[in-house]
Amino acid sequence: MVSKQNENSMGPERHPWVSSFLEGWSIFRQNLLGKIGLTLLVMFALMALCSYIPPWISPIYDPMTGVDPDITSCSGPCLRHWLGTDFMGRDILSQLLAGARIAFMVGISAAVMSIVLGVSIGMTAGYMGRFIDTLLMRLADMIMVMPTLLVVLLLSAVFGQLNIWTIVLIIALFRWPGVSRIIRGQTLSLKQRPFIEAAKVAGASHFRIIFIHIMPNVLPLAFLFMTFRVTSAIITEAALAFLGFGDPGTVSWGMMLQWVWKTGHMFQAPYWLLPPGICISLITLSFYMLGRAMDEVLDPRLRKEDQTD
Amino acid sequence: MALLEVDNLSIGYNTKKGYLKAVEKVSFDLEAGASLGFVGESGCGKTTIGMALMGLLPPNGSVKEGRILFEGKNTLEMTDEELRKIRWREMAMIFQAAMNALNPVQRVGNQIAEAILVHDPSVEKDQAMDQVENLFRLVGIPLDRLRDYPHQYSGGMKQRAVIAMALACRPKLIIADEPTTALDVIVQDQILGEIKELQKEFDLSIIFISHDISIVAHMCDHIGVMYAGQLVECGPREGVFESPAHPYTKALLSSFPTVTGKRSDLIPIPGETPNLVVPPHGCRFCDRCSGPEASCSTEPPQWVEIAPGHRALCCRC
Amino acid sequence: MNTQDESVLKIRDVTKVYKGKGALFGASGKDVTALDRVSFDIFKGEIFGLVGESGSGKTTVGRLIVGLEDVSSGKIFLNGREVVGLKGRARKEFRSQVQMIFQDPYQSLNPQRAIYDTVSEPLKIHGVGNASTKRDLVREILQSVGLSPPDDFLFKYPHRLSGGQRQRVAIARAMVLKPTFVIADEPTSMLDASISAQIFNILLDMRNRLDVTQMFITHSLAAARYLCDRVAVIYRGNLMEIGSAEEVIRNPKHPYTQALLDAVPKFGHHRDVSRYGTLLIKDRDVAGENGCVFFPRCAVALEDRCAGSRPLLGRVSGEHRVACFLVEGA
Repeated sequence: MVSKQNENSMGPERHPWVSSFLEGWSIFRQNLLGKIGLTLLVMFALMALCSYIPPWISPIYDPMTGVDPDITSCSGPCLRHWLGTDFMGRDILSQLLAGARIAFMVGISAAVMSIVLGVSIGMTAGYMGRFIDTLLMRLADMIMVMPTLLVVLLLSAVFGQLNIWTIVLIIALFRWPGVSRIIRGQTLSLKQRPFIEAAKVAGASHFRIIFIHIMPNVLPLAFLFMTFRVTSAIITEAALAFLGFGDPGTVSWGMMLQWVWKTGHMFQAPYWLLPPGICISLITLSFYMLGRAMDEVLDPRLRKEDQTD
Repeated sequence: MALLEVDNLSIGYNTKKGYLKAVEKVSFDLEAGASLGFVGESGCGKTTIGMALMGLLPPNGSVKEGRILFEGKNTLEMTDEELRKIRWREMAMIFQAAMNALNPVQRVGNQIAEAILVHDPSVEKDQAMDQVENLFRLVGIPLDRLRDYPHQYSGGMKQRAVIAMALACRPKLIIADEPTTALDVIVQDQILGEIKELQKEFDLSIIFISHDISIVAHMCDHIGVMYAGQLVECGPREGVFESPAHPYTKALLSSFPTVTGKRSDLIPIPGETPNLVVPPHGCRFCDRCSGPEASCSTEPPQWVEIAPGHRALCCRC
Repeated sequence: MNTQDESVLKIRDVTKVYKGKGALFGASGKDVTALDRVSFDIFKGEIFGLVGESGSGKTTVGRLIVGLEDVSSGKIFLNGREVVGLKGRARKEFRSQVQMIFQDPYQSLNPQRAIYDTVSEPLKIHGVGNASTKRDLVREILQSVGLSPPDDFLFKYPHRLSGGQRQRVAIARAMVLKPTFVIADEPTSMLDASISAQIFNILLDMRNRLDVTQMFITHSLAAARYLCDRVAVIYRGNLMEIGSAEEVIRNPKHPYTQALLDAVPKFGHHRDVSRYGTLLIKDRDVAGENGCVFFPRCAVALEDRCAGSRPLLGRVSGEHRVACFLVEGA
């Protein structure tokens, strides 16, 4: 048994999150998949940022309303339109860039919302136990088995075309159960730890214990799971848009695919069909690679939680 | 020729914070049938020595210098094949928290039989089971528990099973690393008694590693006191405990409460153990010693012979 | 040392039964009685030792007193006021008077919180002082547990401290509110001997300086002898013997206590101290639920008497009491 007494008292004082992050980063850096995934994501992020540039250059490049006076129908790539135009004469490249922005927006918002919901519900279920736990987890089970798309179908049949933020909300509402299960498990094991009992003995209220003691120990795991959530949110939105349930006022990749399909240009305009399709595949792939790299980081860290380090 | 001769052994671990010098120039001998106890606190290197003797250092550990001569042959220079022949058949180890080393999904009797069969392919399965029965009788486990699983055993019984496994191939040397730490004092007493009887019956040599001085004193004729990777005092039990020479040994003895004798004040040892990545150049105990001399912090201490067979690594002794 | 007139803690007939859950709890679905009608007093200013092996119920006693678990039946009094069933404000006030030091220094501090936050938490919860008085109080208590200079430790995180230092932080947290009563649940079983000695001395110092009454739960009779004024020996949920530490250890009357003392390894010129020999080599095969809990292992038991009913704590001399039919006066 090697003494750990004096090894750790060297070096600057850092919050455990910071030192875990730095350590995770050095493990992550050595993972090829992770590096590829991260590079791709950075590329997409740049795309999203650049989406503001085309409309700024000239209104004909606006993804929704940009109309080129010379071109009024689908046409191939040319000097003015690097990826060509869609059936209304709108620039495809600017649509692609705007789609990247939407993808991130949707992905991250839906992920954040589902995490917030999942963490609160998971912690409450795990900490309160018994009746509340059973109630919340049965609710989670029910939601998990419900097919998202079907429900959205029903909702849009009832309420008409849905707004992009409603879609984000719906995705979040369907995705929190997975998060809450993991968080609940983590909470259950934390609940037994002596430092929680010490807080109880000191007189801490349930609220204090959940939000000051349990939550900080649970959040790192939650953030990790956000990466997985983002990709599923993006795909869900793309699927909804493609099927015609998206927000017609927003240009997302799924929407672009829907237009290609609806206007019968599927096989005639590869410059229109391929870019959004490739982007969706690539961004999903990059998040997947990121997730795989995270696994490696996660495992030693999960072990570290219990070690006497 | 002694059964085991360790000469100038130094072992280190590659850690994130640097190369940790866990064991530094340790030398000792062990005769056949004798018992040697290593006592020291966490981080002193006693477990590392045990693992090195068995050739079971973890991947980041390595022997920097020294020799381990088992029956005259240096185990550090042996091939994996040769080491495997020695391990378990000549030298066996009872690990710390060994009871968790039992395979939970295999019946205990079968596990021990397997240990026998693996190390001696000439033995038949039923011969092996007979041997297991004998072992159970030896260590005091009722025979009707042969076909049970580990979770059905109590803590003491699991430990006895592990001892049986260590004895399965009739080794000459057993290294016991804190074999009773997780057990209650009454069960511990029974197990220690059984180990002593087994030692007498099979003329075993035992290296007993523990942080508890009283256990080591109870079990072993010879004692080695370890501190911060170094052997600081070594000698026969009476000598070391009744006339301790090294300041650490003296300090250690007065930090253990006892149930007999005078109820004296416990004198804790101030300070903390030194950093083994960058150990002090002079004596490693210097900054916690009650009466260091000027040269103690700058010059490494030398071995001093206190009495025949009893030596201490100290400038002041 | 101890003043007989005031008892800080009174435990009366406390019983704790864990309900069997069928297949989940081991082989049978039987109820497990962790504590069976345990009664004792702890007097003001003393350090009271509760000694037992694993499964004796000693930790359960501590957990029941601080309210981490509920008693199945029985009463607990703190300074004369009943503690079982307290709610709301009264319960919060109770919490400020009774604290606990846990066994595992690596798990009893929140790894995400700095030392200052952990030690000042009781102050925050009970609304003691403003920001600067809190800081002074924390500094003061860290100083008195030997973490000096305190400013060096305030903003460190637990993983930077050694086991001994963490345990001192745990003691500081327990003592910062200057409580009436503190339970130390095997605070040194995970520490080296020389560090344990430091912790013992800190506990003694706290008693002397802050006048904190303490209960020290341990499996080590030697540690109890050093630290405690009075000692109680518990076995399988029953108190076997109780009295002054020196008396119980030098002159044990209960066969179980004697067996414990026999089992402690002794060295030096104490090696050949004669043994009491009260332990059977092989346990008796009995199913009886009504007799003395130690009967199956007791070498000196009287078959009919000891198997038939449970002995109560009876007076041997002065404060020394034993629950055994074989002992005069019990």
